[in-house]
Amino acid sequence: MDNAIYVGLSRQILLERELDIAANNLANVDTVGFKFETMIDNADPAVTPAPGANAPATTITYVAGAGVARDFTEGSLIQTGAMLDVAIEGRGFFQINTANGPRYTRDGRFRTDPSGRLVTQDGDSVDGGGGDIVLDPKKGRATISPNGVISQQGEVVAHLQVVNFDSLAALSKDGNNNYRNDSNLTPTASTTAQVRQGMLETSNVEPIRQITRLIEINRAYDAISNMMNTTAQLSASAVQRLGAVNPA
Amino acid sequence: MQALRTAATGMAAQQLNVEVISNNIANMNTVGFKRQSAVFEDLLYQTYEQPGAQSSDQGNVVPTGVQIGAGVKAGSVYRITGQGTLTNTGNAFDLALNGQGYFQVLLPSGETAYTRAGNFSTNAQGQIVTADGYLVQPSITIPANSTNITISQTGQVQATVGGAAAPTVVGQLTLATFFNDAGLDAQGNNLFKESAASGPPTVGNPGQPGFGVVLQGYTEASNVDPVSEITNLIVAQRAYEMNSKVVSTADQMLSTAVTTKS
Repeated sequence: MDNAIYVGLSRQILLERELDIAANNLANVDTVGFKFETMIDNADPAVTPAPGANAPATTITYVAGAGVARDFTEGSLIQTGAMLDVAIEGRGFFQINTANGPRYTRDGRFRTDPSGRLVTQDGDSVDGGGGDIVLDPKKGRATISPNGVISQQGEVVAHLQVVNFDSLAALSKDGNNNYRNDSNLTPTASTTAQVRQGMLETSNVEPIRQITRLIEINRAYDAISNMMNTTAQLSASAVQRLGAVNPA
Repeated sequence: MQALRTAATGMAAQQLNVEVISNNIANMNTVGFKRQSAVFEDLLYQTYEQPGAQSSDQGNVVPTGVQIGAGVKAGSVYRITGQGTLTNTGNAFDLALNGQGYFQVLLPSGETAYTRAGNFSTNAQGQIVTADGYLVQPSITIPANSTNITISQTGQVQATVGGAAAPTVVGQLTLATFFNDAGLDAQGNNLFKESAASGPPTVGNPGQPGFGVVLQGYTEASNVDPVSEITNLIVAQRAYEMNSKVVSTADQMLSTAVTTKS
């Protein structure tokens, strides 16, 4: 009898977590290069011992979270006109070198620091294939070609590297729009991705889908609460009826 | 419930976004104004299950892990220093810059500030000053009885003094460029100051490589594009609404949880 409540609880705990994920997706609806996430649910069967000699053992299926899946669909590209805004078209990441080691990002809002290094908004240098990218302030506007060649006044200055991983599941999110590589996979230079100067990739969160998800989560939570109430009432009335002494 | 706090970060971020957009729209007609843009970054992630962790002794690996983010934060508000459109005014001391560079202005405090708002005029001593009366550097004095003041694209100031046949050179304007001019420290009144992020100024004559040219009789309008600002405003408002929906959903779920016990 009590198992029904625990099955419901396992689902409710997961629904709260799903709400946290939907909330994070919606909070980042306007974050450059953000990729939305969804929770994957798994059936978690548990075999309970047979209640009596003649009754078979039953299987109760709880709900468990299998993981958070990240959807790497490309967000739409918007034009900003800023010289050092770069978007990636196709699969891949910019590699940036932070104090804590290399990080990967699709957020291409770059700027330069006083020494002319190409850095992210947080001041971490952008990797140009084994080193920093340094621009010459006196040469003026930098042009970035679709295959990542940065030139100033017609001279090639550096190469903006786009790297990719065989399995994106190995990446974990690190905040600040960065991904961390915790696996032993090594990034390889992407041959198919192209970069677009003066553009940014918007968040790929689809608001309608997330709002619908909110409603689903809310209603599912309600429904389970009702089920728990019904179960509780059942056991209450069972106790009452069985415990009542027949007056006849 | 984390969702409540996450949605609050989303609402705070969009509020900042609306503040930046409203400042852009308010300065749509400010000479030399450069529009700003708020940029957002995702916050730290709480790891419930590490991606790539082993799920059994047989070496099975969790393919994705469980990481839940804590929302969004404002990364920075950066200035987009694209060229504004040039507006013809016909005034001899209205100077627009086409290309890179800033005019240098001497503040009363003795510090140097930088501006692209070239709506200048002369003061009682004949010196070229900004709309606020600050001296434009290097200081150029127009002789009292001069006519036909011309300022060339390379910044040479010429005037015909006292009915002379040929104009005389009375000064040379110089410009300052910064490697990262988005990092300049905005002071209000269209003025900027050098900062650690902008780097030191490089001073040179207009028209040199890397420097813009001066156009007499024009001012540079702001580079605010009303249509894109209004579009951004709509996006910001809708994003704010969606985050408030998360708050109400989390609230309803909490109330459901509280009222479950019959």
